[in-house]
Parts: sequence; structure tokens; C-alpha cells
Amino acid sequence: MRSDFASPGISPPDPLSKKEGAPVRESDSEPRKSGAPSFLERGSGGRAVFLAAALILLFGLPFVLLGLLAVGENWRFPQAMPPAYSLDAVRSLLAADNDLLLGLGRSLLLAGTVAVVATAGGFALARAMAQSRSTARWEAASYLPYALPPVLLAVLIQPFIIRLHLSGSVGGVLVGLLLVALPFATLLMRSFWSAQTTEYEHLARTLGCTPGQALRQVLLPLAWPLLRTALVQTFLLAWFDFGLTNVLSVGKVRTLTVQVFTYIGEANAPLAAVASLLLLLPPVVLLLVNKSALLRKP
Amino acid sequence: MSSKARPFRLPSPLLSLYGLLVVGLPLAGLGYALLGSVGLVGPLATGFTGRYWQALGADTGLLYAALYSGWVALASVGIATGLALLLVLRAQPTLRRWPLPGLLYVPLLMPALVVGFYLFQLLSRAGWLSRISFQLGLIPRLESFPELVQDGAGLGIILGHVLLTFPLLTLLFLAIYQETRLDEYRQLTLTLGASLKQFRQRVAVPVLLRRAAPTLLLSFIATLGAYDIPLLLGRPYPQMLSVYIANRLQRFDLRELPAAYLAGFLVAAALLGLIVLLLRLTRRHAL
Amino acid sequence: MKKALLVLLPTTLLVGCGTHEQRTPQQILAQPWPQIEAKGKGQPVSMMMWQGDPLINRYMNTYVKPEVKRRYGIDLQLAAGQGAGLVQTLAAEQQANQPSEADLLWINGETFYQLRQVEALLGPFVAKLPNASLLDLQNPFINTDFQQPVAGMECPWGNVQFTFIYDSARVARPPKSFAELPAFVKAHPGQFTIPNEFTGMTLLKSWMIALSGDPKLFQGKFDAAVYKKWSGALWRQVNASKPYFWKQGQTFPEQLAPLHQLFANGEVAFTFSNNDAEVDNKVNQKVFPATARAYVPAPGTIQNSHYLGIVRHAQHPEAAMLVVNFLISPEAQLKKMDPNVWGDHTVLNLKALPAAQRQKFEQLPSRRYAPRREAIQGLALPEPDPEYMTRLFKDFRTYVIEGTPVPAS
Repeated sequence: MRSDFASPGISPPDPLSKKEGAPVRESDSEPRKSGAPSFLERGSGGRAVFLAAALILLFGLPFVLLGLLAVGENWRFPQAMPPAYSLDAVRSLLAADNDLLLGLGRSLLLAGTVAVVATAGGFALARAMAQSRSTARWEAASYLPYALPPVLLAVLIQPFIIRLHLSGSVGGVLVGLLLVALPFATLLMRSFWSAQTTEYEHLARTLGCTPGQALRQVLLPLAWPLLRTALVQTFLLAWFDFGLTNVLSVGKVRTLTVQVFTYIGEANAPLAAVASLLLLLPPVVLLLVNKSALLRKP
Repeated sequence: MSSKARPFRLPSPLLSLYGLLVVGLPLAGLGYALLGSVGLVGPLATGFTGRYWQALGADTGLLYAALYSGWVALASVGIATGLALLLVLRAQPTLRRWPLPGLLYVPLLMPALVVGFYLFQLLSRAGWLSRISFQLGLIPRLESFPELVQDGAGLGIILGHVLLTFPLLTLLFLAIYQETRLDEYRQLTLTLGASLKQFRQRVAVPVLLRRAAPTLLLSFIATLGAYDIPLLLGRPYPQMLSVYIANRLQRFDLRELPAAYLAGFLVAAALLGLIVLLLRLTRRHAL
Repeated sequence: MKKALLVLLPTTLLVGCGTHEQRTPQQILAQPWPQIEAKGKGQPVSMMMWQGDPLINRYMNTYVKPEVKRRYGIDLQLAAGQGAGLVQTLAAEQQANQPSEADLLWINGETFYQLRQVEALLGPFVAKLPNASLLDLQNPFINTDFQQPVAGMECPWGNVQFTFIYDSARVARPPKSFAELPAFVKAHPGQFTIPNEFTGMTLLKSWMIALSGDPKLFQGKFDAAVYKKWSGALWRQVNASKPYFWKQGQTFPEQLAPLHQLFANGEVAFTFSNNDAEVDNKVNQKVFPATARAYVPAPGTIQNSHYLGIVRHAQHPEAAMLVVNFLISPEAQLKKMDPNVWGDHTVLNLKALPAAQRQKFEQLPSRRYAPRREAIQGLALPEPDPEYMTRLFKDFRTYVIEGTPVPAS
């Protein structure tokens, strides 16, 4: 992704663009090497500040409101701010009977497993597809789970999940999530197995690598950026899921999203907010660690 | 079950398993729903009957759910696309400057369920905005606050989806803008004496939309089947498709189940048709 | 497919594939209690219940769970599940002839009826329980569940009566009867709504019985003619008042908790409860203002009981019986009846209790905001056949929410 931004087409500042006020100019967030001022147009400073402020407000407000809800006590209309603050809801995380931390663990485990299995599976499957005679058909088939909303998919496969003795178990939810995550990862990895990659692999083998060595020393390093994206994306896919998990788990696999929904159902805003904030935590960490892995859809 | 076998060569075992899971299981589910809709399977199955199919004409619920979902998906993706185009074409330098690139990633961190919960707390009549408006004297009573969630037109649902989609589309358009070297085209059109407006309308927008078409269509399909946000911000009637089907399957009367299976089958079949169409289009036009 | 999936996902082998020998209900129930007790100890029990009330969840999580762990080493796992979703899951498990994911269920009415239809319940088991002798099984509001004899297939757990809850600071004179309701709603637009769930349906049932003027009509099996006549009258009356409902009757709350929230925020003047003592626990929790009061409008509202059922193919039926026996013990019932805990009326026959224990029940912190039990017992109506509820649910959606014209009767 980053390499795209470093395209060589550097164009001189355009005089006409001044009139428009918002010239479209190639640049990026990194400091420019040349000393030339980046943006020559007038009035864009104010607009930029406004835009940034609007987006900060738009995307920052959820955290503010959720935070207030988490610590507000008896906060009702018409009070604009909570009349009293209490850490009860947050502290209940530490209580022995509290299910939230368990839910956090459950969600992490489930999403982590989905990410690893789907990415590894996608890596291998994409290769098998590339070598297959009917690559296009396999690719088309991989879009099938996209067509069906997760809830509908869960409802449709539920009779079989029950017959597989997986209803209400982590295993059943895992199968359901993989049904969505595996094709996603596979489609994502498809672009990796190009003719060039195959050539590299051949070359490595010709130079005396064993298949294992070729995989470890050539293919995996080459695929790493994509693998990382696949890991992050499939993790989030499972992490965010509510409908599919709720249907397939029969309410028993109480992941964080399922708990958020339970708390909303009992109109328990503080705990719903705490659970929501817990739900936002790992993705925020992922964002801070690795922004580019977040984007890219097949 | 794997239909991908060629007469002279079987697909690899790995692919066969994959086919079984990704194609076989959903199709088996679809078949089960079809059998359920004619009374052949399911609890209290009574034996073959075409009754539920015949009753379909009189049942407007499914049609309304489909139309409503279509409206919400169209409006959500439409507004999100418009916003993203606006940002990329009119405010690109700002977009590339701190803190915007990071900010645009924030919605990617938010589960739809949390967005629904947040919007409800923010926008309902007793929500935060209403409280603040009341304190500021903007509204005399709670009832004067406009209905923004659980409203008839689905404003809350649309807003939720726009919030989640437009940053993603903005990032996508930015990437396409780079990849297709639109900036060079811009220089070119301007040199040739065209206006910036003409460049945007005749060159940039068509290029961006065409390249992003598969993603836009996928977002449209995903919004059609959205569940979490309409569950929290929607009304009992009309409902979006996923909520409608899940609700019908959970009604008190088990005798209603075949009709619910029928709805599930029809919606799944229609969406499958849509995605096949999408794939055809993508391939034909090499988008 | 089965094999393929299991190969693909070895993890699935580890979970959920219990290889329990299937025992017949007779075999399970033939065991004497000491044997049941010995077998049930140290087992997990999976209980499916409605989880829409924080106090109920707290009672289960912070009292029942640790208690059964302490007494029997039972690990009680609570899961959300009720109504048709529950019936479908159990029916599918039943069809596949496999052990159930659930052991214990919190049910009544139409769920009980449907579970019996698909033969998903274990029983009769109630007589097996040592504490069953304390149950008030002579009481028709306890021994009959929606016109169906309980017959030992489910064990009574609590008994409640439907009430209106209003804010006495906002509404000086609430409608004293269902007959006064339409005029009141018209005079106070936007203050009233009907939740589209259990509690709302109980409201509609009570309203329909009030309209008919004769509760006896609704006793016994479902009568289509009675339903058609009086539900028609009900929909006409509800629809005539609909423009004066909350949000002009354009939408209705889908769950009770959001309605309670609307009430707490002062957006509506009325909320409802299937539990006559709920107003006390909500005021105690400061969810409702201290000016909230509950009452029963004339000519009365539905009183019913809720029950515990054991799944026929439960993996741990003995442990489930131990839990049920604990839940109907005087100790657990007393705790549950405290409005600060839950406020669910006991199903025990207080006269059968030793004097000391009876006194504890009688000395519970009295209800402050709910009417006294003795005062509303005369206004209690029995539950009609579950079919009335099922139909009301469907027709409320069709004729009120969706606004399809009511066919002339």
C-alpha cells in the first residue's frame, strides 16, 4: 500500500489550482524532501482545520459518550452530564462473578483462532486454486458467503451445525465464522500466487532449496505483508461479529458482542458501554501497531 | 457434493474440503430451507404442502422488508460514496496531512453493534444531543427533538452505515487516485484548457467509480443484509431483511416456521443471484 | 460432509461431541433421590433463561450460582434463550436424536405447550423433589399454566401478576379500569404505548378479557369464535387510540427494558410489568423515580406462574433436578421474594412451612410502591390457552403495527 504512494509522477504545482482553492496534488503525510511549500492555495488552512476538527468530533465523540456512559450514574434526561460518577461498572470487571473479562478472553481466543486458521488456510488454498484448472470458478465460489448476510448464513446452516453436535459450542461458532473468513483470506491471498511468485519458487528450488526451505525463506517473507493484512482482517471479522455468533451459539458462547447486546437489552447502559469500550480496545491497539494492515479488501 | 470435479482430474483434497465447507454447507442450508418451506423438514413438519408458497402473494411483509432494505442500502452507499468523492476530489491535500489519514481508520475499529448502541445513546429523543439541546433551551420538551433513530425512513440506520463506510471508501478512492495517476490526467486536462470542474466530472469521477464498482456493489449487498445496526436503530415495521427473517424464525408460533424458511430461502437465492451478476459484470468489464 | 468438516477442523472434535449414552426418561426418573443426588453432584448444568432483567440476572449469578456450587459442586452455566428460538433448537436436537445443549429451562405458557408438543421435556419429575411437598400445588394460578395442567412436567418457580406502573408526580389520576383507558389516552396523547413482547401481550390479553366482560369465556381450550369476536373488538379499540399513543402509534418498543427506559426518562407516563413487585425493585435501584406506583386496573389483570423444565435429552438431568430442588427451597424462594433482590412472589404454601420460616416470609421488607398481594388477589385473572397469546402476537403485528385493516366480524 505504502509503495503506491511513492509513485514517481511528481508534478509541478499548478497555477490554476489556486483559483479552485482545493488543488488535488500528490503528496503524503511524510515530510517532503524539497523545500517547496506543499500547498500554495489560499484559504485551505481554514478548511483543513475545519475538516480535521469535524472528523475528530465525528470519530472521537463515540469514545467520549461511551466513556461518560461507563462512569455515569443515574444519568437520565434532561441532564446533559451525569449527575454523579461511579466506577462501579468498570470495577465490576474485577468481580469474580463478572462475565465480561471471560467474554473478552473468549472473543480473543475465537477471533485469534479464526485469524490463524483462515490465514494459513487461505495461503494454501489460494495456491491450490492458482494451480487448479478452474481457477476462475473457485474464485467465484469464494464469493458465495459474501452474498449471504451472516445472520442468514447462520440460520441456514444451523440445522447442520446441530447435527454435527456443534450447536451452542465454540466449535459451531468457529465453523460459522470460518465460512466467512476462509474465503475472505483466500481471495486476499490470490494476488500473491502470481506467475512471478511461482518463478521465485522454482528459482529457489533450482538453487537447491527444499520445499520447506523455499516456503520459509522465500515464499513466507514475500507473502508477509499480505499475510499480515489477512490476519488482521480476519481477526476483526470474527471480533466484530454479533449476528452469526448469536444465532449459532444459541446464546451460550457469550463473546463480548453478545454481552453488549444482552446489556443493551436490559437497558444497562454503563455495562454496555464498558463492554463496548473493551470491544474497541484490541482494534485500537492493532491500529496503533499497524495501520496499513487494516485496509485492503479483496 | 463437490461439483467442481473434472472428468479427467479431481481437484486437490484441500480444494474439495474447501468446496464442501464454503459451497456445500450454505447450499445444503438453502436446500434445507427449501424443504422446510414446503413442510418436509423442521419441527412439526406436516408433509408436503404448497400452501406457504401460495400464501406468498398475500404476504406483503417480505416485499416491504426487501424494498426497505433496498432503500437503506442505496441511500447509505450513495451518501457514503458522495462524501468520499467530495473529500478525495475537493480536500485531498488535507486528507493526506496529519491527523486525517489516521482518523479515517477509526471507523474500521468499530463493530456495527457498538455504532448502533452509540448512535442510539446520542440521537434518541432522550439521548445526549436531545439533553444538550434541552439544556441550551433549543427544545422546550423532549418530544420536540426530531426523531432520528427508530424513525420511519431509517435515518438512524443510514447514518450508522454511512459512518462506517465513507472513511473506507475515502481511503479506497485515495488509493485508486494514486494508482491510476489521476493527478497526471488532471494536469493534462488543465493544459488542454478544460476546467477543474470538467476534469472532476468527466474524468475523475467516472474513473474512480468504475474502479471502485466491485467494492461499492459489495458494500451495497452487505448493507442489504445488515443486521446489527437495524436491530438497534430500526422499527418493528418496516424491518430490514436480516432482522425480518431472524424475527420470523423466532416467533411464538411454530406453525409459522415454514413461511420463515420460505422467506430465508427467497432472500438467500436473490442475494446469490445478485452476487453472480456482480461477478459476471466484473469479469466482462475487467473492472 | 460430517467427516470432511471434522477433518478440516480438528478443534471441532474437542468440543461438543459428547458421547453420552441415551437413557430413557423412565430410567432417569426411576432413581431414588439419594441416587439422583449422588449422580448430580459435581456436574455442570446449562440453564436457558430470559436474560432481560439485570436484577434477575444478578440473583442467578451472585446467589444461585455460588450456592449450588457450594452445596453440590454444580457449575451452573446461564445462557440466553426463550420462546420459539428455544423450542426450535430443542426440536432440532430431538430430531437429530442427540443429547441436548441445555439441561434446565425457564419457561411457561406457550413455550411449555410447544415443548410438550415436540416432546422435549423430561418428566413428570416434580414429585421426585424433596421440596415439592412445600409447593402450593392446590392453587389454580400455580398448578395450571395457561389452562394446561402442569402435571409434574415443569416445576413452579414464581408467581406474578400484571400491573400498570405510572409516575404519580406526572399523572394524578391514572385510568382506574380498562374501560377508562381509551378516554385517558386521548386526553393525554403520547404518554402510552404497548411493548411488542410478552408483557405487552399480557396487557392485550387482560384488555381483551375486560372488553368481553366475561373471563369465563377464556377458560378451557382455545375458542376461535371467542377469539375472533373479542380480538376484533380489541383491535378496533386499540387502533382508535393509536394516534394518541407514543410516537402517534407509528412504532412500538420491541422489548420491555427500553419501555422502562422511556418511562424513566419521562418520555411516556406508563410502563408495565408482569411482576407486581417490580416497581419496588426498580425504585430501589433508582431506575424509576420514587414517585412511581403500580396498580391493577379493573376488572383485573392476568396472574400467572413461571416454571422450570428439564430437557428430555439433557446431559445432566440429575444435576438439573438438584438445582430445581434448591430453587424451590424456602431459602432460595425467600431471597427471591425480597423486592431488593427480585421481588418474585413465592410458589410455596406458607402454611406448610415451619413457623420460624413462615415468619421470615411474612417479615420481608414490605412492598412500598406496589399494591399488596391480598388487595389484588381478587383482581387476578387466569391465563387463557396459549393459542390466544400466539394469535394476539401475530395479529397485533398485522392489524396494529402494520396497520392492515381489521376484517369486519
